[in-house]
Amino acid sequence: MTNKHNKINVDPEYGVDSRYTSSKERVDDAVALMQARLERMKNLSKEEILRAKLMQLKLKMENYLRGEAGEQQIHFAYFLATYVDALYTKRSEFAMDINVTPVFLSQVINRHREPKEEFILKLMLHSEKAFKGISDFQKKVWYQVYFHEKLCDTMASQDKWGPEIEKQVKLSESILG
Amino acid sequence: MNIVEVSTGDIFPIEVLPVDQSDYTSLSKARYFFDWKAERSEEVYKLVLKGQRDILGLVSVERIPTEFRIHIRLLTVSKENKGSGKTYDDIAGNLIAHVVKIAVTDYGPLACVSLRPKSSVAQHYIQKYNMKVSGITLSVEVPEIIDLINQYDHD
Repeated sequence: MTNKHNKINVDPEYGVDSRYTSSKERVDDAVALMQARLERMKNLSKEEILRAKLMQLKLKMENYLRGEAGEQQIHFAYFLATYVDALYTKRSEFAMDINVTPVFLSQVINRHREPKEEFILKLMLHSEKAFKGISDFQKKVWYQVYFHEKLCDTMASQDKWGPEIEKQVKLSESILG
Repeated sequence: MNIVEVSTGDIFPIEVLPVDQSDYTSLSKARYFFDWKAERSEEVYKLVLKGQRDILGLVSVERIPTEFRIHIRLLTVSKENKGSGKTYDDIAGNLIAHVVKIAVTDYGPLACVSLRPKSSVAQHYIQKYNMKVSGITLSVEVPEIIDLINQYDHD
């Protein structure tokens, strides 16, 4: 006589319970896993590390646009610096690749001046090439990040600009009917 | 991110969202296999069809920042999505991919996601998600972790 309750569930994706049942188990697992990981990390190529850094940047930009940046003070210049530093040992090399001066690039990264539209266009095209073969990266994200920052800054400072602007704005009675 | 309706092959967009406390009242053991109420204080995510409320799968995770690792504590699909007669495919894969994205966002090139499936099903996770074996623990790290994101992260 068969008992259906004895039937082993062999569907591997119905669920996994991999909770640690003791501190010892947790520690032993951590030690063994870290030793194995360290060995594997030794064999990582520069390209594989770069892929991971660019993927991390992409995910952070997507989180920022969804409003999930957390407590960090994140802005366009932060992502720009992260992008450049992931790819280049010297920022001046990036400046040369997109035909801008190192001084201009430094001023944008340090938020001393606004990036011009041409700069963002160059950045978009540069990242399209850099992300090719790594991930599905939408180059328009740079524009979205730039304007998202502007929007957030504007709304955050409404207390400052609101009162003065409000004096200049009215809704005509004729519109209200 | 999408799942596939098995009977038709149709693709449906999904969302992976944090579980609300109010969700736990509907997370019965009969439908979700484990006592998910015991995970209330943990970081738990649910998979739903985009715009809908019905929970098709769940994952509970533990972040271990000192090891640049996220450990999957519990993972399940709902009862009707288990086995040969399942309604949707790729639920577990999308949940794992979501955890992997969190790990890479936080830990970059050092990111690792681990889990400890029963030995009877470990081979499935090794083959499907390209996981490495370390004792009884499976893990995915760079470079395979990036491939896993690309496999599931598309519209």
